Amino acid sequence: MVTTLIDTQQNTWSDVFSTKYGAIYQSDAERCWYVDFAGKVAKFDYRCLLKLKKAVYNVDIEAKLLQSTKDPDIEILFICACDHCYILSLLQIIALKDLLEGTFVMLQLNHILQDRLYRIAI
Amino acid sequence: MKDLIRIRSLISAEVEALLNQQVRKEAFSSAVYLSMASWCNHNGYDYSSEYFFKQADEERQHQLKFFKYILDMGGNAISPEITGIKQEYNSFREVFEDALDQEINVTQSIQNIYARCLKEQDFVTNEFLNWFLKEQREEEYKARRALELFDVIGEEGTGRWQIDRHIGDIKYDSGA
Ligand SMILES: [Fe+2]
Ligand SMILES: [Fe+2]
Repeated sequence: MVTTLIDTQQNTWSDVFSTKYGAIYQSDAERCWYVDFAGKVAKFDYRCLLKLKKAVYNVDIEAKLLQSTKDPDIEILFICACDHCYILSLLQIIALKDLLEGTFVMLQLNHILQDRLYRIAI
Repeated sequence: MKDLIRIRSLISAEVEALLNQQVRKEAFSSAVYLSMASWCNHNGYDYSSEYFFKQADEERQHQLKFFKYILDMGGNAISPEITGIKQEYNSFREVFEDALDQEINVTQSIQNIYARCLKEQDFVTNEFLNWFLKEQREEEYKARRALELFDVIGEEGTGRWQIDRHIGDIKYDSGA
């Protein structure tokens, strides 16, 4: 996984969280996140990232695992008003959920740090 | 790394979800009161019907207060789906018993949000909730007073007619 990517406008992406299967970066300049998962890097703003999280968390993984029907284990995550759509297997859903869980913990941690270290010091 | 989420919204995702849940509860209360107004009206309890119409209006205002607060803080307010409104009551008294139950539920729900905000040190939302805590004092008082009329006046003879006449007079003006 790349640690820090530099784009053409010298825009730094900060690492938010990464796993064996993907990574999420934040661009302060563009006020958005880049989700590197399932073979593509997709840009999400605040609302869309929350929608992605909701869509992933809404998949009932346990129910899918217990399902004995023969249809394929494929989930289509379509996120309203966002440009991206994911077609994922159940294992990928689990991996994406992992990635998002870690990401939101890190964002929360960042919020606490900003609060306790910087905002109070100013 | 900038705190992008905080820039977009004053309230946390958890508090936002709780507030949206409260929007739904207030909308539900409004719909229930409307149903009570209808039942009282066609059973001949005109004053009580009027009382519940007013309550339905108030609950709608509460719903909008929460709704606008969520938006003002940068959150996403969700217009709720309301189903499962009870339309039939077994007795005049049952209507008021349900009304009190409902207000107790709302008070508990608001206290629950308050507790969450304290934990997060979201004092801004707590300050907003203070208005509702005070309002719930009045709401529970009125509902309890109404129910007490059934015991004080009694339902025999022209009792229910008397109770109905007194429902509209219930007021809460505490100095506290
Ligand atoms: Fe209310
Ligand atoms: Fe109420």
